[in-house]
Amino acid sequence: MTKAATAPDAARAHALVDLGLRACEAFDRPDLAARLTEARRRLADPVINVVVVGEFKQGKSTLVNALVGAPVCPVDDDAATAVPTFVRHGEKAGAELWRDGDTREAIELADVRRHVVESSDGEPRVGGVEVRIPRALLATGLVLVDTPGIGGLGSAHAAASLAAISLADAVLFVTSAAQELTRSEMEFLRRARTMCPTVACVLTKTDFYPAWRRIRDLDAAHLAAEGDIPLLAVSSALRARAVKNSDAELNAESGFPELITLVREQVGGSAEQRLATEAAAEVVALCDHLETSFAAERAALADPAAAQRVVDELTAVKSHVERLTTAAAKWNQTLSDGIGDLTSDVDFDLKARIKEVTAEADETIEAGDPADTWAEFGPWLQARTAEALLSNYELLRERATELSERVGEHFREAAGAAFTRPSVHDPTPLAAAEVGEDLDLKKMRVVKQAMVALKGAYGGAMMFTLVGGMVGIILGPIGIGIGLVLGHRGLREEKKRQIQKRRTEAKNAARRYCDKITFVAGKDSRDTLRRVQRELRDHYTALAEELNRSNARALTAATEAAKRTQASREKRLKDVDAELARLAQLRAKAVVFS
Amino acid sequence: MSLLDRTRAVLDHAIQVYRGTPHGARLVATRGRLDQPLRVAVAGRVKAGKSTLLNALVGERLAPTDAGECTRIVTWYQDGHTYQVRARVGREERQLRFNRENGQLDIDLGGLHASDVDELVVTWPTRALRAATLVDTPGIGSLSESAAKRTWDLLVPDEEETPADAVLYLMRHLHAGDVEFLRAFHDSEVSRPSPVNAIGVLSRADEIAVGRLDSMASARRVATRLGEDPSVRRLVQSVVPVAGLLAETAVTLTEEEVGQLRRIANLSPRDAEELLLSTDRFVRMRPELGLTSPERESLLARFGMFGVRLASTMLRRGVAGTATELARELAERSGLTQLEDLLSSLFLERRDVLKCRSTLLAVADVVRAWPGPGSEALAGEVEAVMSSAHPFNELRVLSGLRAGWVSGKDEVVADLERVIGGTGGAAHQRLRLPEDAGHRELTNAATDALSRWQRRAENPLTSYELAVAARVAVRSCEGMLADLLSEHRDVRTRH
Repeated sequence: MTKAATAPDAARAHALVDLGLRACEAFDRPDLAARLTEARRRLADPVINVVVVGEFKQGKSTLVNALVGAPVCPVDDDAATAVPTFVRHGEKAGAELWRDGDTREAIELADVRRHVVESSDGEPRVGGVEVRIPRALLATGLVLVDTPGIGGLGSAHAAASLAAISLADAVLFVTSAAQELTRSEMEFLRRARTMCPTVACVLTKTDFYPAWRRIRDLDAAHLAAEGDIPLLAVSSALRARAVKNSDAELNAESGFPELITLVREQVGGSAEQRLATEAAAEVVALCDHLETSFAAERAALADPAAAQRVVDELTAVKSHVERLTTAAAKWNQTLSDGIGDLTSDVDFDLKARIKEVTAEADETIEAGDPADTWAEFGPWLQARTAEALLSNYELLRERATELSERVGEHFREAAGAAFTRPSVHDPTPLAAAEVGEDLDLKKMRVVKQAMVALKGAYGGAMMFTLVGGMVGIILGPIGIGIGLVLGHRGLREEKKRQIQKRRTEAKNAARRYCDKITFVAGKDSRDTLRRVQRELRDHYTALAEELNRSNARALTAATEAAKRTQASREKRLKDVDAELARLAQLRAKAVVFS
Repeated sequence: MSLLDRTRAVLDHAIQVYRGTPHGARLVATRGRLDQPLRVAVAGRVKAGKSTLLNALVGERLAPTDAGECTRIVTWYQDGHTYQVRARVGREERQLRFNRENGQLDIDLGGLHASDVDELVVTWPTRALRAATLVDTPGIGSLSESAAKRTWDLLVPDEEETPADAVLYLMRHLHAGDVEFLRAFHDSEVSRPSPVNAIGVLSRADEIAVGRLDSMASARRVATRLGEDPSVRRLVQSVVPVAGLLAETAVTLTEEEVGQLRRIANLSPRDAEELLLSTDRFVRMRPELGLTSPERESLLARFGMFGVRLASTMLRRGVAGTATELARELAERSGLTQLEDLLSSLFLERRDVLKCRSTLLAVADVVRAWPGPGSEALAGEVEAVMSSAHPFNELRVLSGLRAGWVSGKDEVVADLERVIGGTGGAAHQRLRLPEDAGHRELTNAATDALSRWQRRAENPLTSYELAVAARVAVRSCEGMLADLLSEHRDVRTRH
């Protein structure tokens, strides 16, 4: 997509939503305006999360700094980034700390390093740091998220990164030109792609490695096996120098112009387009509602003989729609049954996975001497449980999305009658237009709207368990029961006895840890599902109420039409046709987006 | 009876017990190992710079190196009378053809596929290999699964002693896989995750600060931090930074290359900086230097960006004038000299202990896996040597210290570690004296250490573990004094 086409996209969507809002006012439907206002807010202040991930020491922070042309993320030869850093636009430069939950605390920019860089002292970790700086690149709502190195797929950091990716709009996977992509990098990339389809790979440090072109080609071959993933070679060092000296030639050499174009257009553009499509879908929904009542009125006006039938049909629809808002409605049943099933399935899955981890932990303990292995066992267990939690979270997400689609399907089936125009002969070609496409659009719209609601429901829920909560749960030390035995006799027996004792202790500690994790994560996923249920129920109830009101309008209009005199009927018919034509125009504008 | 003799006796007994079985043959092969040089494996993740470092240690470019992943076969480099390369395929061995171009050894697999070859054995008469046989391994974490599996098989075979006596473990940044790998490499009995036979090498050290001139200082800081990390301390003795490529080039530097570097050194510092901003710029800019693009590319391939920057700066500032001086400076600055010193004090001086350890482990493995008539007595003999030989007691205390089992005041622990040979087996290293310390000085220090550790061993307030360790330290001091005394007598007899 070219730049010329993207910019007006947002502007056009904006204008469209404004038109829709005016229509709401003109036709006195403030209830329909609420969702449009929300869509407009999202368009005006979009948040596009671009997560920068990769192994340790590949130059992620340096890349973010070079992208925005300022040292916002601390860089160190030794210490690595330990907490995610969100870099976004702000008129005034500043920084904020996120502690667990929602507490925020303003800090000096100079203090960012202290909180972000890993430290050996056991100071309680913060959930993240947000840095705001005035930058044109970020002004479109782009948020660059610098993350800790993943350290292999099986690590707690990798799980946290994947959880972050599940909520991201795009992923920049960073790998340096020091070596070709490794197996664990490819595995991570594969996994990340299933959670966020927009992935680009960035090859860094091209100024330093003479063989970077070979590495690039090798990487490109690895990536080609996975599908369409763009690969860009950049040098952050050259870019930093180019920015400092305003050296355009050097900037071009750094490879950053291409990267910025990619971020701005493909990533930013696609997110913008997605928001525009979502907004347009809301406008189409508005047209549906408004047209329903006008079309009914028109039918009654055009053929007085048929008026009574229109009124009868609408009355039938009325009770039907009213049923939609009650708990007995099929979609509502599907939802509560589905959430019930889902809660127990997710819980079972979690327990099964943790059980597996416990068994593996026992085996590991049995295979060695905990006194030797305990220091590594802790991180291993943490990584293993993080992996289990992540898989559990993936299941939850996948199944919640399925459920939302199923509920949407049932809602659509039930509401279908209300959306269908009266079965009387309709002389105007516009209302009959493109019914097939219309149905698809409707389905897509229902799913899309529900997705927006869903994203809000589980936003960050699991992230907390993975990064915040899990750090709080510690494995704890075990009594090592020191076994420095020297001398001739009984060396082996004494050693055996001590090892046995340590193993028992270690197993108990591991089990306690897993129990705590199960408890916290179980509560977290139950809460998440409850939130999902609430969001979906509110979403569809609101939709049903809108339908109900539209139908009531149509009924009133049709009833009134039957009472009119011939002259007033003809005059009104002209007005209604004009309104319908206007709505058709609005719809045509909106449909262009999808 | 020395440890070597006792080990040989146990082994001979074992060979007798298992005569006529397949294990007998294995034990006979092990016997040969006791008389051969120490076997040191170079291991680490993919692209950690294993082959490059191996070449630096040998002083010749024997192992193939490349930007992509390239070592796919476990390769042994050993000393011998003639130059030859053999491939082991299953049970049979084949002689392979090879040639050397530009100092680089090129082996012709002769129609064999890399995945069919189990091992390559390169015999190369050179001084460096006389002290230790080096083993190059494919990296772990390789995209080609089978290459990684081979390293694993070599270093951590199931139910067998490891074919290597000691290992240089190359790490670039501590990965989860590194720790797992190291833990599995260390075998049981004498001390499980034991720092006795592993040295950590922070490889490709010049890349840590992406080739800035102060890169090595930065790398040393990182290495020190890693070396103090409890989980690393328990696995390797020490961590040293090495810029492998620079080290390899330093020991194989040519006059021609120095001449080329001089041209860069003659530029003004500002112009040189502009030229060395990126590899692309270096290849392309300043045609008036009189260096062709291929020449520049080969300079980069040999020195790396850091090497070109460092070497040209040293030439400009007159730190090094001649090729010999430059080679020595580069070897020093690349960390190679330090690594060689460490190798010699931690591995080579202790080679008998390490070889005996491997041998006894091999016997213990056979006994455990295939018990038979006479094996019970054999197990007893192994245990007797393992638990009574003083060098093994030292190793055990050392790993106990590293694992944090034995604790005490920091300075006491540091002293203990030194006295039992944790920083090197020579008397001056154990006593923290300069290398050229005189006989009297050493004797005085050893006597002091002896009484110090006797006091600690007998002090009722000393914790049980420390008291046990202190008794080992006392024995170490006694050993030192005995050696010093006999040395003294030798000198007198000669006069």
